[in-house]
Amino acid sequence: MLQVENLSKSYGTFRALHNVAFSARAGEVYGLLGPNGAGKTTLLRILATLLRPDSGTAQVAGYDTQTQGEAVRRVVGVVNGGMGLYDRLSGREILRYFAGLYGMTQAQADARIAELNGSLGLEGTLDTRAGSFSTGMKQKIVIARAVIHDPPVLILDEAASGLDVLARRALLDFVLDYRAAGRLVVYSTHVMSEVEEVCDRAAVLDRGELIAQGTVAELLAQTGQSSLERAFFSMLQGRAERLGGMQ
Amino acid sequence: MSWRLRWSFVWQVARKELLSTARDRRALLSSILLPLLLIPLFTVGLPLLLTQALSGQGQERQKVGVIGTLPAALRARLTADSGDTASATDVGVLLVPVSDPVKAVQDGSVQAVLKVTEPLPTRAGQRTATVQLYAKLGNLKAESGVIGKVRGVLDGYNSALVAEGLKARGVPASFLTSVRVQTVDASRPQEAASGQLAFLVPMFLLQFILAGSMATAIDSTAGEKERGTLEVLLVSPIRRAEVVMGKLLATSAAALTSAGFGLIGLLISGVVSALLLRGGAGKLSGAMNSGGPNAGGLGGQLSVTPGGLAVLALMALSAALLLSALLIAVSIFARSYKEAQTYVTPITLLILLPAVALQFSDFIGRGPALYAVPVINAMVVILDIVKGVPNTGAALLAVAVNLIFTAILVLLAVRSFGREQVIFRN
Repeated sequence: MLQVENLSKSYGTFRALHNVAFSARAGEVYGLLGPNGAGKTTLLRILATLLRPDSGTAQVAGYDTQTQGEAVRRVVGVVNGGMGLYDRLSGREILRYFAGLYGMTQAQADARIAELNGSLGLEGTLDTRAGSFSTGMKQKIVIARAVIHDPPVLILDEAASGLDVLARRALLDFVLDYRAAGRLVVYSTHVMSEVEEVCDRAAVLDRGELIAQGTVAELLAQTGQSSLERAFFSMLQGRAERLGGMQ
Repeated sequence: MSWRLRWSFVWQVARKELLSTARDRRALLSSILLPLLLIPLFTVGLPLLLTQALSGQGQERQKVGVIGTLPAALRARLTADSGDTASATDVGVLLVPVSDPVKAVQDGSVQAVLKVTEPLPTRAGQRTATVQLYAKLGNLKAESGVIGKVRGVLDGYNSALVAEGLKARGVPASFLTSVRVQTVDASRPQEAASGQLAFLVPMFLLQFILAGSMATAIDSTAGEKERGTLEVLLVSPIRRAEVVMGKLLATSAAALTSAGFGLIGLLISGVVSALLLRGGAGKLSGAMNSGGPNAGGLGGQLSVTPGGLAVLALMALSAALLLSALLIAVSIFARSYKEAQTYVTPITLLILLPAVALQFSDFIGRGPALYAVPVINAMVVILDIVKGVPNTGAALLAVAVNLIFTAILVLLAVRSFGREQVIFRN
């Protein structure tokens, strides 16, 4: 479902990604772990066709992100951390708008909105303008917007940041439900407990390089630590020491 | 990047932007209310106020300082009320002695000073003498008030002395005036209606096109970026060219709405001014007839033929497309709504400066080069229409030029929407 091979990307002299390679399949939640500036957002933006890599390739559901961008955009849904909505439009108007951009008719959009209302609990958001939404209400519409076209691949970039405990719980439950429906969820975060709870496998990024990947158990085994947070810290510290030694 | 447009997608983007704009109170205020209020205010209210202020000078008894001795007959003429028109009476001035003419005028104790340095003649044939008139010469109030009044009296005194001298010699007064000049207004009706404030019409229309388009253009570009919705929009299968065209349509529609209300404002003020400035206000027309300032002559009203209106609409459409494309192409570089406002501020000067220069349009030649300058060509064509001298060929050239520049700006904007450095500029 997702095949990434030797992706590299630089911004001027800053190397954001270097030879990143991994693959993920349908029916799993694939985590991307890393501190701020590790290159997670750059990687996800390449997968969403918003950025072009300097070298390497990425295929989403069989489509190449560089040569088949429009096809890729049909099969992915994206939730970025910003929770950006159109303040002067109601939840229903926002969802209908995006459904239209995915080529859905209004009848199809309304049927899908009803379906998402059942799974996400959109009451109170559909006929209210987004400018007056609480954070929790915004999150529901942001997720509904990302999956309005029922994409086989859902990309979440720091989607839980800033959410209260209830909203975060709802998000994680939705991710698990989406995986259960046979979809691939790419879940970027720097919160270890979220990875432990929802990710089947995860890749650890640091300074643009993929330094480890595997199941949570495999990551723990690689470092000999008892928790993912300790394992993560150990990986970053070990790499910093190696790089320091090289210098 | 695919350039083929799917119009259903373009329309969806345009419809969403228009819905968003229609729910923005600030945008509605600048698109609808301001044109309806500002145009009548400037084209009817301002001339009315100006006329009343200037004609009111005739009824004011200004203080005039005197140094030296004025002949009794001249003093009597200066202080007497004229009462020579049925509807308006010019009252005389109050003469007061002063010692320093410049100081007296500057400190405001008098509005003018007459300084007599040699005896003034009391009958024709005596040696010509000079009287100095001190006043603030660059001051509109002084020019239209006390200076005109005192000069008028002095001219009248001169004429009276000459007439008396001729009469004593048995020569009729007509001896001095072989040819009398009568001026007749040969302007086209549109030209007469537009008057000296004609330059306001293109300025208002272009200004409202810009004001109407600004909120939508900025909100749909820098605003989307600031909210984080642009990234989500660009992740959908819609093409960059469709996004830009949708935003261009919505922005142009907002601009044309504003221009449309501006046009309505102009037409309304044309009707109102016809009632107030020409027919209805007897007192005012009296002031006009007595040689006072002519509010009708200031104009600023729109009177166009149906053909002229069609050309004007076409010109407004091309200007709206061009300015909308310019605003979108510029605003997409900004990181926030506020930053975009800073970027687009100089664009207002693009309209304001040429519009001010249009006051002197009668001195400017109308070569094809002028109609090939984007935006400015729209002002010149609109001014031609307003003055009743539409030039269809020049107007079509102007429309073509504006559309070519619109296309160039759209291409630039599409390119910017596809550039990482622009979309993710931090």
